[in-house]
Amino acid sequence: MAFLPDESRSLPPPPLLNKGSVWLGFAGWLAALLDNAFNHRPILRAGIHRQVLFASLGCFVGYQLVKRTEYVYAKVDRELLEYIRHHPVDFPLADKKRIGQLLEDFHPVR
Amino acid sequence: MAAGLRAVRRWGLLAAAASPSPSPAFTRSVSVVKEANSGQPNWLGVGMAFGTSAVLWAFLIKEHNEDVMEYERRKQERQHKCTGCS
Repeated sequence: MAFLPDESRSLPPPPLLNKGSVWLGFAGWLAALLDNAFNHRPILRAGIHRQVLFASLGCFVGYQLVKRTEYVYAKVDRELLEYIRHHPVDFPLADKKRIGQLLEDFHPVR
Repeated sequence: MAAGLRAVRRWGLLAAAASPSPSPAFTRSVSVVKEANSGQPNWLGVGMAFGTSAVLWAFLIKEHNEDVMEYERRKQERQHKCTGCS
């Protein structure tokens, strides 16, 4: 089972900075800051290379995961719509009602 | 105590001057860990970290651009297939 099958490339690719990549990048950066804290180093100023590396790794992994997520959602949607198309009897179109039929009759109390 | 210190120095286990190592007693384990000195940067590690980050970003940006081009190409193909060549 491929992580990203070929047909996933027919989907529009997510933007480079999407919620998954930004969040995981931030989580990676936070992990580097925590590593600084646990080793008694200045939290923000120490280990810039480590912060950059962890954030980049997070962005990368987040991007791949978001791509896979979108592919899985698209696949499920496609199967759902195919099922609906093949079973029209189970999905009748509800006839539109006018708003006057929905509301109760109005009896003013004057 | 002095004899122990001399022996450790002979085996080069003690780093320069005042590292607060627990005791210069001999351990039986194969691995020996030096305490990380934040005063002298590990330039190899720094270089590798920045290099890996650069490679990761380059690969990510390249993959994104390739994905966009492939998506546009497939969209064109689908239009050609559906509407026929105009």
